[in-house]
Amino acid sequence: MSKVVKAEYTAEAVAGFNARTAIEEAARCLLCHDAPCSKGCPAGTNPAKFIRSIRFRNVRGAAETIRENNILGGTCARVCPYDNLCEEACSRCGIDRPIEIGKLQRYAIEQEEALGMKILSVPAEKKAGKVACVGAGPASLAAAAELAKAGYDVTILEREAKAGGVLTYGIVPSRLPQAVVDADIAKVEELGVKFVFNTTVKAEDLADYDAVFVGIGLWGPNLPGIDGIDLPGVYAAVDYLKAARSGAEGFNAGNRVLVVGGGDVAVDCAVTAKLQGAEDVKIVYRRTIEEAPGNLNEFQYALSLGIGMTTGMAPDSIVGDGKVEAVNFKGFRDEAAKLTLSADTIVFATGQKAEAADFVAVDVTDKKTIVADENGVTSVDNIFSAGDIVNGGKTVVEAVAGGKAAAASIIAYLEKKGVK
Amino acid sequence: MAIKKDLSVTYHGKEFMNPFCLSSSPVGSNYDMVSKCYETGWGGCFYKTVGIFIADECSPRFDQTNKEGLPWLGFKNMEQISDKPTELNFEYMYKLMRDYPDHVTIPTIMGSSEEEWKQLAKMCDELGAPMIEGNFSCPQMTSSAMGSDVGTNPELVKSYCEAVTSVTKIPFIAKMTPNITTMEIPARAALAGGAAGVSTINTIKSITNIDFENMTAMPVVDGKSSISGYSGAAVKPIALRFITNLLQDEVIGKTEVSGIGGIETWRDAAEFLALGCKNVQVTTAIMQYGYRIVEDMISGMSHFMDERGYNKLDEFIGCALGNIVPAEDLNRDFKILPQFSDDKCVGCGRCYVSCYDAAHQAIDWDADKRRPSLNDKCVGCHLCLNVCPVKDCITPGEIVWKEGRQQKEIALKHKYD
Ligand SMILES: Cc1cc2nc3c(=O)[nH]c(=O)nc-3n(C[C@H](O)[C@H](O)[C@H](O)COP(=O)(O)OP(=O)(O)OC[C@H]3O[C@@H](n4cnc5c(N)ncnc54)[C@H](O)[C@@H]3O)c2cc1C
Ligand SMILES: Cc1cc2nc3c(=O)[nH]c(=O)nc-3n(C[C@H](O)[C@H](O)[C@H](O)COP(=O)(O)O)c2cc1C
Ligand code: SF4
Ligand code: SF4
Ligand code: SF4
Repeated sequence: MSKVVKAEYTAEAVAGFNARTAIEEAARCLLCHDAPCSKGCPAGTNPAKFIRSIRFRNVRGAAETIRENNILGGTCARVCPYDNLCEEACSRCGIDRPIEIGKLQRYAIEQEEALGMKILSVPAEKKAGKVACVGAGPASLAAAAELAKAGYDVTILEREAKAGGVLTYGIVPSRLPQAVVDADIAKVEELGVKFVFNTTVKAEDLADYDAVFVGIGLWGPNLPGIDGIDLPGVYAAVDYLKAARSGAEGFNAGNRVLVVGGGDVAVDCAVTAKLQGAEDVKIVYRRTIEEAPGNLNEFQYALSLGIGMTTGMAPDSIVGDGKVEAVNFKGFRDEAAKLTLSADTIVFATGQKAEAADFVAVDVTDKKTIVADENGVTSVDNIFSAGDIVNGGKTVVEAVAGGKAAAASIIAYLEKKGVK
Repeated sequence: MAIKKDLSVTYHGKEFMNPFCLSSSPVGSNYDMVSKCYETGWGGCFYKTVGIFIADECSPRFDQTNKEGLPWLGFKNMEQISDKPTELNFEYMYKLMRDYPDHVTIPTIMGSSEEEWKQLAKMCDELGAPMIEGNFSCPQMTSSAMGSDVGTNPELVKSYCEAVTSVTKIPFIAKMTPNITTMEIPARAALAGGAAGVSTINTIKSITNIDFENMTAMPVVDGKSSISGYSGAAVKPIALRFITNLLQDEVIGKTEVSGIGGIETWRDAAEFLALGCKNVQVTTAIMQYGYRIVEDMISGMSHFMDERGYNKLDEFIGCALGNIVPAEDLNRDFKILPQFSDDKCVGCGRCYVSCYDAAHQAIDWDADKRRPSLNDKCVGCHLCLNVCPVKDCITPGEIVWKEGRQQKEIALKHKYD
């Protein structure tokens, strides 16, 4: 059997480029006309331009392009599902394999830090408009940064003790070190955006603002109504990850852990369990590997850690005396299939639900997600929204794109209203 | 906000918004091209050489050299001067000067006799050109009355310069050929003939590759080929050498020189400026990548200036020239031993192979650990440092003074790309 990787929970899994290897990779870039990679980036990070800058020995210019277009450039470099985005679009796929765009982006952002660059600034003349952003996840951070760069007074109101949303309380640190998230957030702080933590927003908190952006993501657990779901040892993915990541008191990652789901979140939960010391970790997914929404590289990484994967099976009941002891699965399509696995912990990575955004009176869907167009415009004039709470749960880079677009709408709204 | 520095520079009395210009070649050979290049950010254009002679070109006419998969190390072309009617070229230049008054459009001309040089110079005078460049350097003209055959003959250079400067007061720049040992001789002749300055290099006579299918050189034109001009990244070291020779010359060093040859990045351009060039010209990199490369030249140069605290290009133009000295003036009293990082080393053994086969057998190889170690035969040549594939693995280490030599503080290089 191949060697199983032993890693630390907080150690980063992938090594980056250095000046020499970055140029080598950039030299593979075909420098396309009307570059498809740039069109493939939802947030407009413009990879073709920053790769060209690296190639032509202007790494400072590369960092500038990234940071100006995508305030979470460091984070996106680590967690974007490139193989469905820029790298999938890359023309070099027609020759051999795509340019490692995410890794080059990471290199440029590392250089920004190493060279002590200060790229963004706010205009000397401030605008009068005051904007609140609810939630400190990617969507709000992106919206806030754009608004601050345009000179507005922006306050982010966040329920938790730290900013970042899923970046801080969800994604495993081996994929996304906290220092990377914090460095990105520091750029938002440097633009003068104010942060108010430990505040679950209520309607009255928003009275003083000319416009409100809602970027609260999806934090409602999504658990199936099967027998034993209330037993201790049953977790929703977000709660499990958040407890692991914030080092919550008394949290025990488990020893025989089953993770239900087929997306990146399932992988993150399984990796978390493994890296926190669980002996036996398995992912159980009801469909096939081809149908799994997760990134193949992530599954491979999980496999390399010794995590197993079973497909075609859905949980039927959880059994145990006062705590989880075993889980019964039945075939999802194969009616004959039955399976019972011993476990002390079971994590449901089967999606999150919207919690009611009852502090604003906007139209919502039957799933309680907010109705907004691609520019973040909701049913209420001065309320804007984007990110997971609108799109039902997608990616960081799409949340950034949504936040940027909404900021443009907010600026247009405030200018029209004459709040200068 | 994207950083922007003042990159303006004055060259022969004319302000350029930045030092980045097209050199005379197909990259600047009609109105639409040059207007696109200005819109992209280039500061000036030395327009494709115009003559009375209209070129009749062969096909194909280009070839390139590569090494280990890296294309376009160097580029060979068999093109002559413009193949468009002379009047049309002047009309294009007129429109460019009219529509882009803040950019500098410069005609490059070439005659085959004193009469033709005068005729072309008068046309430039009527055009109101800010300056004129004279092409004494194309190595593949179909007539020896033109091009680099002229440029290696100081008397002819001088007389043609006199012909031009007798009919116009516009500053005249003689573009010199590198197909010569001592460029200072024709360059001085050009100045003696009234030229205001020189630009260099034009292309180097070359044969890039032999084609075994046809047993001739590349490119193959009906089974035959010719010696012709080489340009691109591979020629930059040669260009920098000629520039140094020119600017260290007492007479030529007092004039303003325009640098050409293998420039692709802001860094290449900054190297020409550091030697004392007032501006730079580019062709091959544009042929390979397009006008857009100027964006990173502008941005990269701005960042460089910002980092160094320069506010104007003039603050570093020429800074490196005085530090290039004759070989006999170098301090030869010490050697710098290489230092090996066992941590960074990946155990490839390339340093060992090169040192054994091409230097001084100064590296011992631990076959079990797969690590090099230095013995006392090292002369400090740094072949190993140049061959090691790992960044910052072999670095300059201990300084060892030769027996009986006076020790003193020496300047060192620390950062290697
Ligand atoms: C485990 C996991 C792994 C993921 N991995 C990836 C990945 O690898 N790549 C990728 O691109 N995407 C990934 N995603 C998806 C991505 O994280 C989300 O699409 C993205 O974070 C959405 O950003 P957001 O700003 O809309 O919401 P969030 O990141 O959810 O942020 C919302 C913020 O609002 C706060 N909040 C909620 N309600 C209130 C309230 N009433 N008052 C105040 N604050 C409130 C929350 O505390 C949170 O901080 C992953 C998601 C999860 C859960
Ligand atoms: C295809 C081609 C055509 C050229 N035509 C001319 C020309 O008409 N007149 C001239 O002075 N130089 C001409 N040159 C030389 C360039 O202007 C320049 O001096 C030389 O190529 C070195 O610069 P580079 O390495 O940036 O290309 C030509 C070069 C190339 C590659
Ligand atoms: S699509 Fe690929 S090859 Fe083309 S510019 Fe983008 S990264 Fe380079
Ligand atoms: S580059 Fe353009 S002009 Fe030249 S051969 Fe190709 S198609 Fe023809
Ligand atoms: S060349 Fe560099 S990496 Fe290779 S053995 Fe020598 S020191 Fe090690």
